[in-house]
Amino acid sequence: MTLPFFFLEFMTGLASAASLFLLAVGLSLIFGALGIVNFAHGSFFALGAYFLFALTHGDATGFWHYLPLAVAASLVVGAVVERVFIRRVLNRAEHYQILLTYALLLIIEDVSKICFGADYKSIGMPKGFEMPVFVLGIPFPSYYLGLVGLAAAAALLLWLFLHRTRYGTLVRAVAQDREMLEALGVNVPLLFTVIFAVGIGLAGFGGAVSLPLESISTGVAMDAVISAFIVVVVGGLGSLWGTLLAAILIGEIQAFGALVLPEFSIVFAYVLMAAVLLFRPWGLLGRPPTVRT
Amino acid sequence: MNRTFNRYFGLMLLLVVAVELALAQQPPIKIGELNVLSGSFAAYGKSGRQGAQLAIDEINASGGLLGRKLELIQVDDQAKPDVGVQEAKRLILDEKVNFLVGIDSSSVALAVAPLTNEYKIPLVVMHGATPALTEQCNPYVFRTSNNARMDANAAADLAAKLPYKRWANIGPDYEYGHSSWNDFIARLKEKRPDVEVVGEQWPKGGESNYTPYITALVQQRPEAVFSALWAGDLVTFVRQANAFGFFKQIKLFVDPIGAALESIGPLGKDAPLGELFSTRYWFLQSQSPTNKKFVDAYHSKWGEWPSYNAEEHYAGVQMLAAAVRKANSLDADAIKKAFEADGGLTYEAPEGKKWMRPADHQVFEALVWGYTTPSNDYPFVVLKDITMVPESDTVYPTKCK
Repeated sequence: MTLPFFFLEFMTGLASAASLFLLAVGLSLIFGALGIVNFAHGSFFALGAYFLFALTHGDATGFWHYLPLAVAASLVVGAVVERVFIRRVLNRAEHYQILLTYALLLIIEDVSKICFGADYKSIGMPKGFEMPVFVLGIPFPSYYLGLVGLAAAAALLLWLFLHRTRYGTLVRAVAQDREMLEALGVNVPLLFTVIFAVGIGLAGFGGAVSLPLESISTGVAMDAVISAFIVVVVGGLGSLWGTLLAAILIGEIQAFGALVLPEFSIVFAYVLMAAVLLFRPWGLLGRPPTVRT
Repeated sequence: MNRTFNRYFGLMLLLVVAVELALAQQPPIKIGELNVLSGSFAAYGKSGRQGAQLAIDEINASGGLLGRKLELIQVDDQAKPDVGVQEAKRLILDEKVNFLVGIDSSSVALAVAPLTNEYKIPLVVMHGATPALTEQCNPYVFRTSNNARMDANAAADLAAKLPYKRWANIGPDYEYGHSSWNDFIARLKEKRPDVEVVGEQWPKGGESNYTPYITALVQQRPEAVFSALWAGDLVTFVRQANAFGFFKQIKLFVDPIGAALESIGPLGKDAPLGELFSTRYWFLQSQSPTNKKFVDAYHSKWGEWPSYNAEEHYAGVQMLAAAVRKANSLDADAIKKAFEADGGLTYEAPEGKKWMRPADHQVFEALVWGYTTPSNDYPFVVLKDITMVPESDTVYPTKCK
């Protein structure tokens, strides 16, 4: 393989990593703060894509115009779902939470089938990114670079929010000691709604910006949630940088794997996950569990 | 008032009972239609139903068949063989259908075909195109649409006249994709021994991300690419390939059902130009009154232009109806005889003549190939420099008797 093609594969892997990161980071955030394993996360990724498709009527020229609207709609859906459903199982055993979020996955799947139809949806490249860029003489989709940029910006903004703002400090604190926060007069239920909505908003954003990359149809939600879990398991649940690292690893493994052994390209991500579970069950950048007192 | 109400109610009840009794004497002839209604092939299920329904409405308006109305029951086989068999059994056992029709996926068609012997129910396939289906010499399986071998052979004959030597393939990894490529390349190599295959890509049907396949194809540097991708798969592939400037790097892209309205419709301005596409029916091709009448009726009923799948389902139901009339019976053996008699049933479809070969129950018909070009009149690309492949050129030998 020549250098330009090596670079092409690398960038392709990075583009899928960008999509994977946006998908998985919300799952990780929600688990870290609320302790909820959100099985419906893939549905919100799909919903973001459906919202964007419905708003643009499948015409890519309106992409940038409607993207903020699609994200806003996802945020609202996230907030409503937290208020109506998630809140009721926060203090219950895990299997209640899993049952609820799994039910949500099935419900959202059927509702989107009714609202958006069962056929596939895909749109062209967004405005400004229709033509490929030439890297070392090889054409490469300019939107992939745009997507990597968007994901990097999202990662940076999220980090700034979590580590440089007061509200971000509260988000990190609530993961450690919810009662103490409540005792200090923080509106924890509202905080939970915000965190859940942000996590869902990120998934919706990921789904919307991935639509030019991948078509969407029924069943995407399930595939997406499986990919998201692989990413957070490899990276470490609740770790922002772990999610980013795992997304890049898996994106690249799939890109180069498809080149070496195309028939087994799907397997590589699972092999990586299995290895991580065996040797570092808390994930590459996750924290090993401490003994609770 | 109460008494008047009761009287009216009684009268109505009587009327309902009378109508029910009349209908019970003449139950409708039930046609069970299997199509893909979900996922990336869903647009085909819709056009298939619309075409079949138009034919049924026309037949019912002119008095039905054997004095009975036709009724269409459509189910979703999800393009999965197991679901197809399960749904076909349900149609036969619960819905008590007289015929099975439709079927978009070749894999589903092959899986459902054995049921026709088990339950003695004729199956008329109107889309699924693997040649294997009519090579099984199944007595109650009929195909009223052309098959993939006819398409692939025609494509190879056209390709043999072109200067391209380095060929590659990207096709869906199932029966239809493989049989199309195998038939195409075998025939092309026969006519042009200098042709070289530089690569084969096999994404799964319903794939959502073609990027790895596109980058691999680009690296193999083919001059021309053959593809049996169809429906949503083709749309998604073309859009992702456009982002790579893929169609500018190769000289020709050939797709036997690329010009299906279910693909070029959603693609709109994203469709590649100057590529060699076919479609099993091109609504602008035939100038015959039959075609004009069909296109007008379809457009006014459904508000869209008839795709090949719509026309094939319309023509398939009409052809089945012709066989039923000829047989004057719904019995599977009588229908078989009607299809086979007099050198094989012929039917003047909107696209032209369809002839069913008695030996293997395969319909042969003329094929239309052309190069994609933008249109001022339609929001999708149209075909120009059209080559009509005559029916006689599509006939290939069969082992069935």
